[in-house]
Amino acid sequence: MTPGPVGDLDVDTVDLFDLDLYEHGDPHTIWDVLRAKAPLHHQVLPDGRQFWSVTRYEDVCRVLGDHREFTSERGTVPTHLGTDDPAGGKLLTSTDPPRHTRVRRAIGAKLTARAVAPWAETIRRTVVDFLGPALDGEVFDLADRALLLPAMVTGPLLGIPERDWQELVELTAMVTAPADPHFRHGSEAATLAIAHHELITYVTEWVRRRRSVGGDDGSLLDHLMHLRVDDAGLTDEEIALDGYSILLGANVTTPHTVSGTVEALIERPEQFTRALADPSLIPNLVEEGLRWTSAACNFMRYAVDDVQIGGGTVPARGAVVAWIGSANRDELQFPDPHVFDIDRVGAKRQVAFGFGPHFCVGAPLARMTLRIFFEEMLRRFGSIESAGAAQHLRSYFIAGMTHLPVVARKRPAS
Amino acid sequence: MESSPRTDHQNGGGGAAVARPVPKAQAIADLWSEYLGAEARENDDFFALGGTSLAGIKIIDRLADEYGVRLSVRAFYLAQTPARVADLIAQGRAGR
Repeated sequence: MTPGPVGDLDVDTVDLFDLDLYEHGDPHTIWDVLRAKAPLHHQVLPDGRQFWSVTRYEDVCRVLGDHREFTSERGTVPTHLGTDDPAGGKLLTSTDPPRHTRVRRAIGAKLTARAVAPWAETIRRTVVDFLGPALDGEVFDLADRALLLPAMVTGPLLGIPERDWQELVELTAMVTAPADPHFRHGSEAATLAIAHHELITYVTEWVRRRRSVGGDDGSLLDHLMHLRVDDAGLTDEEIALDGYSILLGANVTTPHTVSGTVEALIERPEQFTRALADPSLIPNLVEEGLRWTSAACNFMRYAVDDVQIGGGTVPARGAVVAWIGSANRDELQFPDPHVFDIDRVGAKRQVAFGFGPHFCVGAPLARMTLRIFFEEMLRRFGSIESAGAAQHLRSYFIAGMTHLPVVARKRPAS
Repeated sequence: MESSPRTDHQNGGGGAAVARPVPKAQAIADLWSEYLGAEARENDDFFALGGTSLAGIKIIDRLADEYGVRLSVRAFYLAQTPARVADLIAQGRAGR
């Protein structure tokens, strides 16, 4: 999506929580202006809640990276703006250092690049199975199908049986896009509460069952049950919350990076051809796809004290939304930011996985999965074309698609 | 369902043949108040009172203990008020 002319946008009337902007419009047209004219933006919602936004790369990294100025303990997801996270200090993503550092290290030990490397061949087989139906000559709705891909990849690793994947994917989608008609149940608040409740209950029941049956299958949820931090295990509540968070992180972003990157390649056949001809470009294609799609569109922090940023002041206790999708198109960091270029130098500076202490714990697994996905896709597909309009997720939190109909043709044997 | 931790989300009776109180909206509102840190009344909205899923988990457990009816998660959050939750419990009792 290349922004069109913005004319004389009035930054004071910009509504960054306008769901139509994300479902039907292009938020980059707004972010471009904010970076240039209002790098610290203040918005009051009709119900009186208010928040500040930073859109420049440098400011986004500072907000996400410095917990002394910007705390995570009151919540980090803008859909909960104004309600302090009841899981603060317990849920890892809502915990600041030093506690955060120790728990993250213990959980992350199972998710380093080295630790996940042995999963590569299992993931490759899963990706090959996933891609198979795309080559039967029919229209393949990549965005819809991809929603299940992370569960297929991470289910065995997490310890989740296949029969539960579909329901867990629906629940995690409800968390990320509670206003999207594909996922909504009643009000947005009810949708969020139902999904949180059922996911947390799911993990709680998983743990209860594992304890009664005994054993350890080496899965990530088992790891959560047994890890030690400061000579103590996690509490049952922490296990349930972090298990929930891992299910969420695994499911809700990768599908959109897959669909969005494929869409970018469909729109630019010359880039597709380049990648086809030179598989050594795939790791950089993945980084550029992460930058381009920025599936986790933003995260929120709260100012601890009055703080100067982006040429203005956020008052103590003010909510600050760090727009990752905008940072990844900051022209000071990425020249010609709205050009998708698999040869881009410095694509790896993208902050799609966040920045600082809360950098995505699953990033090595996601990177490996995306690399394998594009290796296998380019090995099999000779071409890929659009077969209908894409539909975008109705969410200001997760940038993604619900539908992307495509037709792929087999790559001729060479 | 050997290794699946799926729980039953249906409304269902608690089974025990002990005397259980009749579900009254105000009694349910009082129980909510304990977990919401706000005074709840019969027709107040759960979310407007600052209700969260962590509070909901505890409330549904308490309702199951006290009334012998375990409400489905969806039914509870879609009902949204103590009065409608009382109706759900009554329906659950009636075996619907």
